[in-house]
Amino acid sequence: MQEFAMNNPQYIAAESLGDALQIKQQEGEHTRVIAGGTDLILRMRDRVFSPGLLLDLRRVSLDTISCHAGEVRLGAYVTLSQILGDEQLAVLFPALLEACRQFAGPPIRNRATLGGNLANASPAADLAPPLMAYDASIVLASSVGERVLPLAEFFTGPGQTVIRANEILTQIRLPLMPPGTAARFIKLGQRRSMAISIINVSTRLTLAKQGTVYEARIVLGAAAPTPLRAVAAEAVLMGNELSEDRVEEAAIAASKEISPITDVRASRNYREKMAQVLVRRALLASRDELGRSGSND
Amino acid sequence: MTEMDILLTINGKPQNVKVEPVRTLLSVLREEAGLTGTKDGCSSGDCGACVVLLDGRVVNACMVLAPQADGARITTIEGLAVNGQLHPLQRAFAETWAFQCGFCTQGMLISCYALLLSNDNPSRKEILTAIAGNFCRCTGYQNVVKAVCQAAAEIRQRVNRKEAPHA
Repeated sequence: MQEFAMNNPQYIAAESLGDALQIKQQEGEHTRVIAGGTDLILRMRDRVFSPGLLLDLRRVSLDTISCHAGEVRLGAYVTLSQILGDEQLAVLFPALLEACRQFAGPPIRNRATLGGNLANASPAADLAPPLMAYDASIVLASSVGERVLPLAEFFTGPGQTVIRANEILTQIRLPLMPPGTAARFIKLGQRRSMAISIINVSTRLTLAKQGTVYEARIVLGAAAPTPLRAVAAEAVLMGNELSEDRVEEAAIAASKEISPITDVRASRNYREKMAQVLVRRALLASRDELGRSGSND
Repeated sequence: MTEMDILLTINGKPQNVKVEPVRTLLSVLREEAGLTGTKDGCSSGDCGACVVLLDGRVVNACMVLAPQADGARITTIEGLAVNGQLHPLQRAFAETWAFQCGFCTQGMLISCYALLLSNDNPSRKEILTAIAGNFCRCTGYQNVVKAVCQAAAEIRQRVNRKEAPHA
């Protein structure tokens, strides 16, 4: 058994969010929040992080999924297994469910949390692209109040976010999608389970009554220093019909907008080529879905 | 060094343990509780050799810090047999040769045991999903599927005869 070759942090399981925020306010600079820990434990062992205090949120009641006017609110401590077991989410946000289904395996999905996957800010985080495609926002709480911002503005670089030392990511909010919406998530990994994405793509299309594209989201993971919205590719689709030529044009645009790295999983060149393929596949699948469901209602 | 007192209920037996916060549940099970059936494979949550049940759900014991499990019920491979009688799943693994070297076997068993707790007639696909986090490098997955089907059939028969699923 390899023990941790590292300083031994203090450990506190806060009894309430108020207590947790108080600790963050006072000790924020050397505190790490621990939720599932499936990523944090590895990074502590690799000495990427050496926190003086681990703040466990398991008693803080951030593990609920609830419906409010026009939006669904997911606590940051909701696990991937919880999301997969929620029938309503499966209907409302299928691309998010697909990302959870392909995430690691059951033992990790039982521990890994939604908030943890986002706060780690891995460029390859599987849940960020579908959440961004659905225009998710996040709640950052501190003992002096809370702020709500679009998830798209949360990430600033690999492992970096706008979260402040006194803040805790408490909630993820998803607006309900209008009729005529179809979304997809496609992940390319070395295998179907237990793989880190070589590249992943989530798209969301909402059509206007006449069948043209009213809203388009194309978001790629493991493709840039942060999960990336390919806005130029989205612009190609806006206001237009979903012809195969348009889709191909958008796919090419997306592959040019990203700036992937070459690493142990794949080369930059391969990632760019696969981005084009996956964006095309996702958009065509959504087009077929919208065609079948009769989007002109 | 900060140490903390935690309480684990391991295979039904409450146990107080003094741990450093960064001690893993796996290390506590093997070295404090002496339950070495749970294996340390990759130490990084990838291989599944350390899978145990934590409050009824499968987890990688190497990816849980001991204080995270404070107050939890843990089931390890040592907790599957009752009064010296193997669980039907354990017998089915032996009878169908659902292992080769045996290193992944306890993790496979716990994952399949968790599946059968909620589903006594799993499809092939459901079985493969349940063991997606368990690597067998001898590549012996087919017989695991056979064993689970055999055990599930036995458990259904027992339930039909109104017997305990396992005794």
